[in-house]
Amino acid sequence: MKATPTKTTLAWSLEWRWAAIRNGLRDAMAYRGDFLLDFFGQALVPVAIQLILWYSIFHNGKVTQFGGMSYAQLLSYTWTSLLFTQIRGGDYDFSLIEMIRVGSLSNYLLRPVGVIEFVFFRGLGEKLLTTLFCLVLGIVATFFTPLSIQNLLLGMMLAILGNIIHYLFGSALASVAFYWENAFAVLMVKNMVVSLFSGELLPLTVVPERFAWIWKSTPFYLYVYGPTQVALGKWDHVTWLHQMEIGFAWLLGFWLLMKLCWRVSINRYQGLGG
Amino acid sequence: MNPTAAISVQNVKRSFRSVKKEEGWRGTLKLLFHPEYIEHQALKGITFSIPRGEFVGLIGANGAGKTTLLKILSGLIPPTTGEARVLGHIPFERSIEFRKEISLVMGQKAQLWWDLPAIEAFDLLRALYQIPNDIYRKRLDELTSLLDVTRLLNTQIRRLSLGERMKMEVIGAIIHLPKVIFLDEPTIGLDVLAAQKLREFLKIHNQKEGATIILTSHNMDDISELCKRIILIKEGAMIFDGDPKTLTGKDECQLRIQLTSEPSFGDLASALAISESQISKDDEDPTTYRLNIPRSKVAEYFQRLVQLYPVTDIGIQEPSLERVIQRIYQE
Repeated sequence: MKATPTKTTLAWSLEWRWAAIRNGLRDAMAYRGDFLLDFFGQALVPVAIQLILWYSIFHNGKVTQFGGMSYAQLLSYTWTSLLFTQIRGGDYDFSLIEMIRVGSLSNYLLRPVGVIEFVFFRGLGEKLLTTLFCLVLGIVATFFTPLSIQNLLLGMMLAILGNIIHYLFGSALASVAFYWENAFAVLMVKNMVVSLFSGELLPLTVVPERFAWIWKSTPFYLYVYGPTQVALGKWDHVTWLHQMEIGFAWLLGFWLLMKLCWRVSINRYQGLGG
Repeated sequence: MNPTAAISVQNVKRSFRSVKKEEGWRGTLKLLFHPEYIEHQALKGITFSIPRGEFVGLIGANGAGKTTLLKILSGLIPPTTGEARVLGHIPFERSIEFRKEISLVMGQKAQLWWDLPAIEAFDLLRALYQIPNDIYRKRLDELTSLLDVTRLLNTQIRRLSLGERMKMEVIGAIIHLPKVIFLDEPTIGLDVLAAQKLREFLKIHNQKEGATIILTSHNMDDISELCKRIILIKEGAMIFDGDPKTLTGKDECQLRIQLTSEPSFGDLASALAISESQISKDDEDPTTYRLNIPRSKVAEYFQRLVQLYPVTDIGIQEPSLERVIQRIYQE
């Protein structure tokens, strides 16, 4: 009764990834109330804060432009960015740190697939559902706003690329937990920097030109600001293609960094708690 | 190194470094600015080899180094020095082939996903280990009916009892028919029936599939029922490797006496000049006492007992494995 795989290696390789996505999605949806609150709460709270902020600046401050944008443009940016903020990130890197800390990483290390990839695909199910929902929301919005479906899809592609970059970066940072054991603060700081430079809290045009090199030197703007600019038609297709190239370069860089960090630090894993 | 063995361990040592935390605020500040480290030698040069298909018990007190050894053999951590090989692989290299051929069950840790029913986890494992669907279905039916958990396949893991969860964990660990299985206290916390069921299952699985199994357990029923060989570790060093029968039959035996009266343990101990811990009583028969005494002193103690108490029955038995292990831990 030995396993005699009849499928091709490629078929098996796709099958386990699809099984991991299904498994992760079911896990995330095990508690419907929590899932929905997390889904909508995380998206709507930052938007509400921004709307209050813009209202306050334009109505109480008596200004006509902020960061080179009018009130209407800022509102349009805020609502459009909502479609992408939920696609970026995810907390799988936090899961990695927790697994290293409590020793449950052992369960993943013993499986015949890569840990980072396995955790990514288990988390991807929830993200795909989010992306699908945001896409539907965006398509509905095209009927009432100047958004085009084509630009929306291009923006989504950039946001998905951002999601992968974000996870690889987080995974590389999570390897700090092999040294510090409790390294949540590292990811918290990373998330704060990402929130600022991704454009999910403020459009990056508000950053003074002389400091713009800071966010341009990171890949974080590709998570929300970039996709929003594409969706709003402010970046043409050539710029989009160029940004995708930049994104892939970051992806490759972080993939190598993640590989290096884990190769070096896994030697310090102790599998505690057993 | 024995190239034909399933598991070969050659002079394996493993040490851990941890931060020393002193009590109170002073300790907290010291930890922040000038941490002090202590090194603990968990394994002190272990050497053994296990042929394919053998069921071996790995025993030792808490902190003896059993789990550390299993972690090294399953490739989770590397040895500090020495060499371990499992099915010819160096475990810590964690090659894909190696990971497909081994399995580790830790009784104190859930390996299946807590919020999902077991069937969802098994489906993912099927894909990970590339088990064709028809074989997977057949194997799952067989394993779940052997362990009597078929009806629980669609229940969330967290809603199962400890025994039911453990059975699911074992199924998850062997669904891909690993050639080497490491079981770290699989019966911990289980009731007598559940533990017995699991033992029977492991015995059948070992005989049928010929998997090499290393079992650690504090429950000596597990060891004596399943293992023809035990490796005993004490404070990181191996102090016994062989048939448990040779360990139990060495120089101690159990004298069983039935009296007409019921003297206290204290009275009996002082009358024979032995420790009270050497005396136990049958639950069913309060007049039957069991004395764990050196084999050479049986005649002397028997004579003294007959002089002091009216004896109705007597017998000599081998001491239980539990008693022998207990004595070794105390030495």
